[in-house]
Amino acid sequence: MRNVLRLIWFDLKQELKPPVWILVEWFIFTVQLFIYGALISRLVTAPEISNYQQFYAVGFIVMITFDIGTHTGRHFVEDAHEGRLPYLLSLPISRIKLFLSIALQGGFELALMLTVPLAITLFLLGNLAVLSVAAAIITLFGLGFGVAGLMLGLSFIAFKSSDMYTAIVTGLSTIIIRFSTVFYPLIFLPQGYASIASISPLTYGADLVRFLLGFDPSILLNPAYAVAVLAALAVSTLGLGMVLLQRLVEGVKSA
Amino acid sequence: MYAVETQNLVKRYGKFQALKGLDFTVNLGEIMVLLGPNGSGKTTLLLSLATVLKPTSGTAKVMGIDVMKQPTAVRQILGISFQDARGFWRHKPAEILDFHGAMCGVKKADRTPLIEQVLKELELWDARNKLFMHLSGGQTKRLEVAKLLIQRPKFAIFDEPSSQVDLRGKRTIWEQILKLREAGSTILVATNEVREAEFLADRVTILDQGKNIVCDTVRNLKDKITGGDIVELELDQANGDKEFQEELSKIPGTAKITPVEENKYKAYVSVAEAWVPKMTSLFYQRKIRVSSVRVTEPSLDDVFLSCTGKKLETNANA
Repeated sequence: MRNVLRLIWFDLKQELKPPVWILVEWFIFTVQLFIYGALISRLVTAPEISNYQQFYAVGFIVMITFDIGTHTGRHFVEDAHEGRLPYLLSLPISRIKLFLSIALQGGFELALMLTVPLAITLFLLGNLAVLSVAAAIITLFGLGFGVAGLMLGLSFIAFKSSDMYTAIVTGLSTIIIRFSTVFYPLIFLPQGYASIASISPLTYGADLVRFLLGFDPSILLNPAYAVAVLAALAVSTLGLGMVLLQRLVEGVKSA
Repeated sequence: MYAVETQNLVKRYGKFQALKGLDFTVNLGEIMVLLGPNGSGKTTLLLSLATVLKPTSGTAKVMGIDVMKQPTAVRQILGISFQDARGFWRHKPAEILDFHGAMCGVKKADRTPLIEQVLKELELWDARNKLFMHLSGGQTKRLEVAKLLIQRPKFAIFDEPSSQVDLRGKRTIWEQILKLREAGSTILVATNEVREAEFLADRVTILDQGKNIVCDTVRNLKDKITGGDIVELELDQANGDKEFQEELSKIPGTAKITPVEENKYKAYVSVAEAWVPKMTSLFYQRKIRVSSVRVTEPSLDDVFLSCTGKKLETNANA
């Protein structure tokens, strides 16, 4: 386990010297929430949503979670294309531990990235039970691992063409975010739009986090259903990523 | 037990077969050099032994451990210096070596002085705090080699260890590889540089198109070439005697005698060490005085040409 932590820290410490990208993300979140979020909340009024700025803040956090999950997948592809993957594969640790280190690094990055946005959001929402907040954080990590696994699963495309991988991931990300409940509840969506949104993993992540943070359950999906979908997503995609790492990466020239 | 043993090892990339049923062994404690042009399967073999690539079929064992059945155990006794050192753009050489040593189980107390020593020996000490992306090609290559000098694995693999390195740097790297062997490591080096192979090899395996063409010591490989050694003779006086030339060509191991000038001959012989005393004896009997004898050995490039019908150095950069 010590080697797993070493692997994680070796990369992570570089990203913290200095942590520009994290500070930029926090700045973007703050600007979005207190300028765009504040203005748009004056335009959006619905009896089910007492304060759209709060709804928007949670949605934005879910979107950051999705971005970090995607980043983890991309990081793996970059490792392969920059020639670092063969080195990682030659280190004296098992493939499971190597995969765990990739996934956990994504988890640590997510934790770092969410610290300030989550603190601001929780401050905006106020009066929350510790257990609810803990459950919401666990949900976000579950979603992050699921998305990272999905992107790692898609990384096999990058071994054929990195351009195609970038195009597919960018296109998929656009669809997954727009066709979801990140910024608007499912019941407000037109029928066709809602059908597509109901297969987006972000819909389940956003609705479950909102449920745990005390939003009106009548505009959200059934939380038990959301837990089941997110758990299935994380387990299946991480499992798929693991199989690909063993079967595919060791079978092709990766750099 | 062999340090490495492969039997009928096959690796396919789609329809392309990089290794075609390779049988190959490395003895414990030796430096085996894999010599072959680009595309001959050298790197594929190294990556398969290092468990980075999974062979399609056949078996491969490192120190008796099957690379497909117990890959993690293999990685614990093996280290590899890759052909291209890349991907650590924002790390510094000292950090990279410290990380590598720690991952490979070198204790902190041993690691710190060892890193300093290796960085100094490979002339990387002044660059120890530069970012990897600011190092020159030669420096990154030396850093790649340095990883194994810190790790000191039982079985060390070097893939073209001195490519992109200047002549002085090459010599330093080769000497460090020899030191590593003296410290107890078995070493496998892949190269397409004849000088590197001749400097390092206890034995050489020539690979071509995924097959083991021949394996032997450098000396034996050179001796296997009929007429590979060239002996240039200069006589005190001109000698146009045809009978003398015939006697010279009857010395065992002579492939061809060519007069260059009236008093100069070129003899193409198989083993110069055996041929020259017989030639001297013949000259003594005939009371012919020789003013100079010069022996030129064949290079491993000539060996490669003799075994495959192709020139190694031309293909190397193709």
